[in-house]
Amino acid sequence: MFQFIVKRLVWLVLTLWAVFTVSFILMKIVPGGPYQAERNLPPEVEQNIRAQFHLDDPLHIQYRDHLWDTVRGDFRSSFKLKDFTVNEVIAQGFPVSASLGVLAMLFALTLGLTAGIVSALRRGGVLDLAFMALATVGIAVPNFVLASIAVLIFVFKLGWFPAAGWGTLAQLVLPALCLGLPFAAYIARLTRTGMLEVLSKDYIRLAYAKGLSSRRVVLRHALRGAVLPVVSYLGPATAGILTGSLVLERIFALPGMGSHFIDAALQRDYTLVMGMVLVYTLLLYTMNFLVDLSYAVIDPRVKLH
Amino acid sequence: MPFNPRNLFPYFAGLLALAALGYAVTFGKLPPADFTFINGTEVQSIDAGKVSGVPEHRIIEALFEGLFRQDPQSLKPIPGVAARHEVSADGRTYDFYLRPNARWSNGSPVTAHDFWWSWRRVLHPETAGEYAYQLYYLENAEKYNSAQVEVRDRVEIELDDRLRQVEPFPRGTMVRGTLRDIIKPDEPEIPATATRDERNDFLARWKRAWVYVVDIDGEQRRFSPEAHDAPTVEKCLQVLLDFDEVGVQVVDDRHLRVQLTNSTPFFLHLMAFYSTFPLHRESIEHYGRDWTKPQNLVNNGAFRMAFRRIRDRIRLVKNPEYWDADRVHLNVVDAMAVNSPTTMLNMYMNGQVDWAETIPTAAVPDMLKHYQEHVRSAPMLTTYMYRLNTKRKPLDDVRVRKALAMAMNKREICELILRAGQQPARSLVPPGMEGYEQAEGVPYDVEQARQLLAEAGFPDGKGMRKLEILYNDHEAHKTIAEKIQSDWLKNLNVRTELKALEWGVYLDSINQFQYDVARYAWVGDYPDPNTFLDMFLTDGTNNRTGWSEPKYDELIAAAAAETAPEKRLQTLHDAERILMDGQPIIPIYYYVSLNLVRPYVHGFHTNVQDLHPLSAIRIDPEEKSRHLRALK
Repeated sequence: MFQFIVKRLVWLVLTLWAVFTVSFILMKIVPGGPYQAERNLPPEVEQNIRAQFHLDDPLHIQYRDHLWDTVRGDFRSSFKLKDFTVNEVIAQGFPVSASLGVLAMLFALTLGLTAGIVSALRRGGVLDLAFMALATVGIAVPNFVLASIAVLIFVFKLGWFPAAGWGTLAQLVLPALCLGLPFAAYIARLTRTGMLEVLSKDYIRLAYAKGLSSRRVVLRHALRGAVLPVVSYLGPATAGILTGSLVLERIFALPGMGSHFIDAALQRDYTLVMGMVLVYTLLLYTMNFLVDLSYAVIDPRVKLH
Repeated sequence: MPFNPRNLFPYFAGLLALAALGYAVTFGKLPPADFTFINGTEVQSIDAGKVSGVPEHRIIEALFEGLFRQDPQSLKPIPGVAARHEVSADGRTYDFYLRPNARWSNGSPVTAHDFWWSWRRVLHPETAGEYAYQLYYLENAEKYNSAQVEVRDRVEIELDDRLRQVEPFPRGTMVRGTLRDIIKPDEPEIPATATRDERNDFLARWKRAWVYVVDIDGEQRRFSPEAHDAPTVEKCLQVLLDFDEVGVQVVDDRHLRVQLTNSTPFFLHLMAFYSTFPLHRESIEHYGRDWTKPQNLVNNGAFRMAFRRIRDRIRLVKNPEYWDADRVHLNVVDAMAVNSPTTMLNMYMNGQVDWAETIPTAAVPDMLKHYQEHVRSAPMLTTYMYRLNTKRKPLDDVRVRKALAMAMNKREICELILRAGQQPARSLVPPGMEGYEQAEGVPYDVEQARQLLAEAGFPDGKGMRKLEILYNDHEAHKTIAEKIQSDWLKNLNVRTELKALEWGVYLDSINQFQYDVARYAWVGDYPDPNTFLDMFLTDGTNNRTGWSEPKYDELIAAAAAETAPEKRLQTLHDAERILMDGQPIIPIYYYVSLNLVRPYVHGFHTNVQDLHPLSAIRIDPEEKSRHLRALK
């Protein structure tokens, strides 16, 4: 176990370094610079901006200095949000995305597990068919289409939620729903398959034969086996929710990491892009790592190394 | 069954989930604002010296006030911090007398020193102000800003002893003297393959090695920005023109004198423009870059900044210290940062915001039909045009350029595609400039166009190569480009290819002259033709068409020196005539502003610059709640 953690940490450092290097190179080779605007600046002023951001240094010096700052946890000032450092932008954006992600994930789990269990128990029934049909649709429809439909129904027809923005729980519900729904659909299908497989196992039959209530059998014995594929899906699901929130944050005007990332990329805010890419890498890596760990905790057969 | 920690996992996971949920749904309470508007993209900075965008303009104008401000309806300059002013007979000297009751938000008075210091900061090369050139009309300001010095100039040298390497500049010890000589090393060989940036870097490095010989109180000293081995050369940070040579002077605390190079009839407009606003010296020197944080900010405008959440909102509250606070009606204002026009529309229709700054193109006809009383639209000082690269064949032939212009059906672009009341353009300068008559270029005339093209050696488009139309990737630009593509094919048999580029790449291509035809738009900074016409001076930074006409340059310079207003406008008109005859650009249409404003918002006036000062806006809360109830 200890060895596993150390190994993963070493790989994390290597991954971050590789991501840093690739991002750095990509940003240097695309044409156009961060200080360009429709209105051209006097060349002297342009030169001063370049000097301010050390863009006039030779490339290897730029790389070395930037890498060193990054290692010390200083992502530098944002090129375009001139009143903030990248660290400040991330500190403000992260809680927003985290709230959205947590809510979406919990929503996906609750809905997905419930629907999956019910479908498995009522196999072939009306509920099963309905849930699985919905799940197929849920997986197929991208979240921004869902978002448009949800806005139309819940904002304009029913008037239950505000159209966009950040600051109240009501403003978080719709984006979390749209973000979580495709994952709920996938989890429902995984749970159903897992449950069906487990329910036909001997130990379940034994549990029933011992006279245990069907609730106890399902929740205590069957679900435990059935939930394993769901747990291993949580890694990719977290990745999906992180990247999916880019689009939804934009549509619902949420001031999270996704909005910052998109704008940073479009505006050539090099330092902010770099900071975002590294934080995303770190997040994804950590989530996958936690999933692997929890996998070992749930299933005694899994050995980490 | 023995105890196994594994069995605790479901409970642990459950608790974790609950904690996460608790975290996710906790929100601070935020009381609603009196007035909420959508401000477009996130404000890059509230530092007036460093930005150039429209969203920034709205916020800075609410937080700060210059010598003058703009009338919310007519945009005419009206007194701000300056109570009154005098202009000399030759129009080159302005004396501003500041109000005694103009105060900073910390209670201290706004003085002439504040302006002097702020202008110096904006003009200092290291500040890299995007709008520093608004002050170029001051004597020697351009020279100071672009760090040019000549022998015999009075210069100021900043020694390399800054305590902190942070702004504002200058921070090191200053010595003043007269420049006697500049010792330059050999100019470096610049490889022919170097890009523009690399070239500039070469030159900048070379310039850093220069040694300046300066006469200081009869003693000769040598300075250089680069460390030299010779012990006689002192290292310095900057050698600039002595700022005392720049045309701004503090006569006393409440009297600022400004000396201009030429009489500049629109100078008061510039005094109402944010790059000339005063900034608070002590707080900037104390906090460095963090002076823009709400808790540190000291400002002199109608509003204070309560808090700011990046890409969410800036909350403004009324500033009780503002000298004209009695005439500010709103107490709490939210400026929302929203990018997507569709989201803006949703928020507006839902009653979440009182003013949205634009309407998605697809929704314009519907909004004009069903929500006419919400749409506030007016012509703007903005021209949409195509640049033609006059350095490339066949566009180097003016007949070809004219033919292309004449074969473009601009009316159809306005009426079939844009559909929001935009007007087809035949001149660079848009209408709405008082006293100015536009010099119109060629009309839509297919016959004549075909004839011109034939004269240029391409009868019926034969022998003409395929042209490329470049635009930054956006649906609206694409639709217009497609229309023009079909017009040119149908009318002239000229084939074109559309090329959409990402913004940065698109700008880069234009700067490097790698284009045939490229879309462009220009927004006027002040209501005077000069803001459009000085763009096409030979080798002007924003010319980028390769077009050059000495007579044009002469006329623009003559207009700048002209003191009689009518004569000046006539000279500018003649210059525009030459520009339209040379046709390095094809003006296509003039923009209109498209605001969605709730009927209960008062004091919102449409005007040519699409400026709507928040200090003039008024809302009756009862009328608002009645209106919003009806909406539900």
